[in-house]
Amino acid sequence: MSQETSEASSTPPLISRRSTRTGLPPLRNYIRDAWTYRTFAVHWSRADVKARNFDTFFGRAWHVINPLLFGLIYFVFVGIVGGGGFSDMERLAMIVGNLYAWLFFSGVITTSVGAVQSGAGGILAMSSIPRVVLPMASAITAGNLFLRSLLAYVPIHFLGQRGAHIEMLWIPVLAVLTLMAGLGIALIMAVLNVYFRDVSRLLPHVLRLWMYLSPVIWDYTRVLDSAELARLNPLYPLMTAWTIAFGGTLDPNGPGIVSQVGWSFAWSAVSLVVGFLVFVSREDEFAVRN
Amino acid sequence: MSLQFETDAVRITDLSLSYSAVVEVPPEERTSPFARRTKKRLIHALNDVSFSVPAGKAVALIGGNGAGKSTLMKAMVGALKPSSGRIDLWGRAHLLAPGMGFNRKLSGRENVLLGGLAAGMSLAEVREKQEAIIEFADIGGFIDMPTTTYSSGMFGRLAFAVATHVDPEILLIDEALSAGDAGFRDRAVNRVQTMCAAARTIIVVSHSTALVAEMATEAIWLHQGSVRQQGEVNEVADAYLEFQTKGRETAQLDRTIADR
Repeated sequence: MSQETSEASSTPPLISRRSTRTGLPPLRNYIRDAWTYRTFAVHWSRADVKARNFDTFFGRAWHVINPLLFGLIYFVFVGIVGGGGFSDMERLAMIVGNLYAWLFFSGVITTSVGAVQSGAGGILAMSSIPRVVLPMASAITAGNLFLRSLLAYVPIHFLGQRGAHIEMLWIPVLAVLTLMAGLGIALIMAVLNVYFRDVSRLLPHVLRLWMYLSPVIWDYTRVLDSAELARLNPLYPLMTAWTIAFGGTLDPNGPGIVSQVGWSFAWSAVSLVVGFLVFVSREDEFAVRN
Repeated sequence: MSLQFETDAVRITDLSLSYSAVVEVPPEERTSPFARRTKKRLIHALNDVSFSVPAGKAVALIGGNGAGKSTLMKAMVGALKPSSGRIDLWGRAHLLAPGMGFNRKLSGRENVLLGGLAAGMSLAEVREKQEAIIEFADIGGFIDMPTTTYSSGMFGRLAFAVATHVDPEILLIDEALSAGDAGFRDRAVNRVQTMCAAARTIIVVSHSTALVAEMATEAIWLHQGSVRQQGEVNEVADAYLEFQTKGRETAQLDRTIADR
């Protein structure tokens, strides 16, 4: 062993690390490396879901109880503030269904930001795992919890007499689009939070305000006269699509689900691509700034 | 990748690494009640470090607190990027750090799976080696209890067992064995020697000069982010101990940082 550079190795190194890169790495290699950790992402997510409520009395039942309580609270809130009372079960079903979709979207964001901030079990500080694996795992966790919340929604759907609709076939597509939109926003927020920790403090408030501005606890027909303006909210077409998918169209002259899915796809794709590029270009800083 | 003896496994060339950290402003430095209470400090953790390690060697990295040992390890594994210089590796590097990828609420058995996957093993590989890992860790019935109930020594055992079954070409051990008992340390030393015989390269950090003398044949002494001495392990360890007992080994952090 010598302090001077050894001449012994004639084969090129397997790995060569140099000073912090600016900009994007070779994306094909990066995506391939991240893909090799997909099994880890799935198991990390499963562990996360299992560990939540691990030491509580109701345990895994909280995955169903939590969204149910959330929906009931907002039903009461809307009944008091909106003056509609509490007898409209169909309205309850609409609010609960939309809330579950919203919680899926916001859950992807908050879980991802939290995972990057916490360093996820030392992964950020002690390995070279592609950092995008952490939000990937968080998105899987949010999806897992969303599927469980749908179990809570089913009886409410029938209580609200919302019936079966052909638009329900779009639910899997909407789930994918919601995941894409949430993951894109999550990637951007995770980066911002590394530089400005205040982001994690502001995020719950921003998400709550965004929810009120989107047709989650109010129906989309209230802004039909200003649909172009409403569409500037990326979540407007997505939440409108969810409303129609769960309960059928509320206005035959209003937007159809196909157009809303189209707009949602556009917003979700832009969100995911921009978020991915921003995240990957800055991930070298995470271990240092955490 | 297969390594051969007489070739380098690790080559560090003029490596420097600096990073900024947010620190609290001491009360005596605040000019008004409304002044910011935090500021950024630039920490020069590594300064022009150069050395190489041949394949099949076990090398100890010694130095006082804040010397840059852990930073160097993290840079080698890719968690931190160099500010300048380069790191060349002829093989996969794995940093043995207790609990990496672990979920503390889950059992040791479940965390063997997570830790193995986080280290880059495939699911089939982890399942195949799971029992061997658990047997090597030798923590008895605790393997099925949440790792929140583990002592630091048990945690270290489990992490060591996972890391050595990952079987990387280059294994970096950062204080992971300090908490282990004598019996486990003997087995760990044997394991390291077996890996070296198979042309694996080990770099171990420990404050225990006795442990590094057992594990390593050569040593590098890091002081304030630079290489102060390197050579045969006992020679370097003796020089380091002499330096310490002369009382000059104070906390090095304040000499390696500068205000921004």
